[in-house]
Amino acid sequence: MAVALPALYRGRRYSVQLLFTAIAVLMSLRAVDLQLRDHEFLQNHGDARYLRVVEIPAHRGVISDRNGEPLAISTPVSSVWANPRRLALAEGQWRQLAQWLSIGVDNLKELVAARQGRDFVYLRRQVEPAQAAIIAAARLPGVYVDREYHRYYPAGEVTAHVVGFTNVDDSGQEGMELAYNGVLQGTPGSKQVIKDRLGRVVENVESLRAAVPGEDLTLTIDKRLQYIAYRELKAAVINHRAQAGSMVILDARSGEVLAMVNQPSYNPNNRTSLQGELYRNRAVTDVYEPGSTLKAFTIAAALDAGEVTPTTPIDTGNGVFEIGPYKVRDTHPFGRLDVTGVVVKSSNVGAAKIALSLEPETFWRMLSKVGFGAPTATGFPGEAAGRLPDYHHWREIEQATLAFGYGLSVTTLQLAQAYTAVANDGVWVPASLVRNGRPPDGDTVMSAATAEQVRAMLEGVVRSGTGRLARIPGYRVAGKTGTVHKVNTQGYEEDRYVALFAGMVPASRPRLVAAVIIDDPGDGEYFGGQIAAPVFSNVMREALRLLNIPPDDPPGRNEQPLYTYISTNSPEMFDDRGGQPER
Amino acid sequence: MTAALAMDRVAPPPARWLAYRDHDPWILGAAVVLACLGVVMMTSASITLADKNYGDPFYFLWRQLTALGIGAALALWAMHVPLHFLQRMSSAFLLLGILALILVLIPGIGREVNGSLRWLQLGPLSLQASEVAKPCVVLYLAGYLVRHSDQVREKFIGFIKPIGVLTLIAGLLLLEPDYGAAAVLFATCLGMLFLAGVSLPRFISWGLVALSALAALALLAPYRLARLMAFVDPWSDPYDSGFQLTQSLIAFGRGELTGVGLGAGIQKLFYLPEVHTDFVFAVIGEELGLAGTLTVIALFLFLMWRILLLGGEALKAGAAFHAHAANGVALLLGLQAFINIGVNIGVLPTKGLTLPFISYGANSMVITCAMLGLVLRIAHEIRRPVHLPATGRPVSAPAIKIAEDPTP
Repeated sequence: MAVALPALYRGRRYSVQLLFTAIAVLMSLRAVDLQLRDHEFLQNHGDARYLRVVEIPAHRGVISDRNGEPLAISTPVSSVWANPRRLALAEGQWRQLAQWLSIGVDNLKELVAARQGRDFVYLRRQVEPAQAAIIAAARLPGVYVDREYHRYYPAGEVTAHVVGFTNVDDSGQEGMELAYNGVLQGTPGSKQVIKDRLGRVVENVESLRAAVPGEDLTLTIDKRLQYIAYRELKAAVINHRAQAGSMVILDARSGEVLAMVNQPSYNPNNRTSLQGELYRNRAVTDVYEPGSTLKAFTIAAALDAGEVTPTTPIDTGNGVFEIGPYKVRDTHPFGRLDVTGVVVKSSNVGAAKIALSLEPETFWRMLSKVGFGAPTATGFPGEAAGRLPDYHHWREIEQATLAFGYGLSVTTLQLAQAYTAVANDGVWVPASLVRNGRPPDGDTVMSAATAEQVRAMLEGVVRSGTGRLARIPGYRVAGKTGTVHKVNTQGYEEDRYVALFAGMVPASRPRLVAAVIIDDPGDGEYFGGQIAAPVFSNVMREALRLLNIPPDDPPGRNEQPLYTYISTNSPEMFDDRGGQPER
Repeated sequence: MTAALAMDRVAPPPARWLAYRDHDPWILGAAVVLACLGVVMMTSASITLADKNYGDPFYFLWRQLTALGIGAALALWAMHVPLHFLQRMSSAFLLLGILALILVLIPGIGREVNGSLRWLQLGPLSLQASEVAKPCVVLYLAGYLVRHSDQVREKFIGFIKPIGVLTLIAGLLLLEPDYGAAAVLFATCLGMLFLAGVSLPRFISWGLVALSALAALALLAPYRLARLMAFVDPWSDPYDSGFQLTQSLIAFGRGELTGVGLGAGIQKLFYLPEVHTDFVFAVIGEELGLAGTLTVIALFLFLMWRILLLGGEALKAGAAFHAHAANGVALLLGLQAFINIGVNIGVLPTKGLTLPFISYGANSMVITCAMLGLVLRIAHEIRRPVHLPATGRPVSAPAIKIAEDPTP
């Protein structure tokens, strides 16, 4: 041995001590490197793993009626989601979970199986907060609860078509919810959070963008009128076993839609297993031939053009008018009438003769100016424009049938809108659904005198003609009935009808204009004067009271009996049918 | 030593509580500080996992404290076991260690966890065979080195015999498999042989043989090599093979100088796998920063340094078994600690090894405490030579011939 043993041992020990000291120093240097020099690189990598930007849902604006009554509001709910991989490990608790979620265990199994290998599956959305709290408290593996908003519609089926609805992602799908989705939904905010590896937010780092809540939307609808209209329309549709029906009430001066209801309707708060057909806002999406309700504008065009006066005699003869190979018929032979009589008796022959005395362009201009053939300014999604044929191509017979409302198609809203011109002393106002303080952009389409004369004739219709069931005690009512044959793919159907009524009240200074359409009544009664006019009367009676509109027809002023019971009226009294002219 | 002897002759037996004043307070102090820090940091690291898996955020804390209690009791007991008894039993310890390592491989007795047979199920007790084997092998080798001290230093046979036994032990550990424990135990024994004065050329040539064997093993299974070497550039595949290590490195990066604060770490939120066992050091780095990491490194170095000094002291006192045992414990603790730290900071391949006194693990904690008790007993015996014969040699040992072996 070269060295003494104690020295050898000491040397060996020193070298081991030195070795470990060196290791400790090297590791310390490495730690300094990591913690003081590479920390930015490492932290960036860390941030990439657990810093996440998450969305802050924006509160959707409230939709309310003109008086601030809510029609659509967002309420907080929860959505329950799961990480399928992790949930698969807790199969023993599935039964309990499924029960809490009110779904079948099999459904739950399917959900988890279908998304196995992914990290996310919604188990159920829009769960009540109380129920979600129970689920969250159970802390099942891989099950999480998030906050969402659920749209609630307090007026339910009454406003369903106008307001529309949102889908589960809070995005508008129908109605005003869709039309004004951009305004209502607001802008979701975002924030930076730290998530743990299971995806749970453990810390809010910073708010990147505050959520901008959606703006509220005030409709022109008056919820009270909407209720009354809905109730009466529904009753009429059920009583007459009709397929469908619509009613629109407008403010005569501003064109604001005060009510817009349809049958059939649906409950927007519970839309499971509903067909799309029910979602249609028929008052703006479905078109009908207006029939005799159009005569008001035929007469207005002729009066305005100076072709006739209310007392100009018109010979309707034996109720058959031949135009080339075609025949236009009246329901009864009326003989010699004046212009007022043509309207009150609803003579097709008379209207045709008056129309034929006009230049096609003059007639067309009147129909076009009151809004037929063009979509309204409401911008309602899916609105139909209706059809008004171009006068350049009119044949004589077409011009004649247009006079009593065949050969063009209109929506219920368009019909009501057109009547504002008559109601408003010749100033037509576009219909609107959103209340925004903008003064109505009126358009003079006929002289005030013409409008007044037409109104007087329409008053006659209600006082003593086909529209007598539209009468309202204490008020003067002006309106026109209509009954048209339904159209199918083969042409006009012999025994299926659409019943219409359009009118205004109080006739001396109209405040409200309304149109009622009842599609395909099935109980044998089908004249507009029989089934549409009573709806108008019943609704308006309450509307006038609600709106505090003073009566313009105090009892005793008029010697006409206030009530005429249906039973005393033979159906012929209401017969105002028109039809495809026979060859 | 003469001072100690003199004191012993003069002083009356001390009061009972003073009987421990000779147990090295530095070693004990360092260990207590590490254990306290360990309990706090292990709890911080495990709190989310415990809450999620067991519904009790302190699930691991209670179990670790229980283990610490058992460990302290065992350490106290070890402080009263005379070394000469252990020396006499050193061969039996080897048999006990081998027995544990064989039993664990028998299906039905050994329990498989994560594809490895590491646990012995004895009634309610779960024993980790490798932890049992560690002190057994150290005590055996210490005994062997005393019995064959000359042969070990001078003859190849004296060197290769314990190596053969060790290869057997390492082979059993590889069968579990538990590469980390095999590596630590083998390196500890090589270190003990080195400290016992094995000739350098022989030591180095053997080291080369062992290294080439390891290299062959790795080359035969390239996938193992690839996995082993993933630590070199974890960022090349940070979401798969490099995932655990990159998470660990991120933890250190987040810690900077003073840490993100106790409990405020993010890596323990299920990002860093095995965070409360193998990677608790990363949590220290994240939550306590460089201050924490350097403190822990310094404490382990200090602990090891002190135990090695104690070994030297024992040799001087002629207590060879004491010396070898102390060296063994120092190497075992030091290697395990520094390998674990090296894994955490990404300078060593990722292997399942716990950080003594700190990582969660009842077996590791109890055995580490017991070994600490052994070290304290060694300090006590060599500093109160009432346990040594008047000649200055331990009663139990054929001493290393210090006095009789003058330099030629």
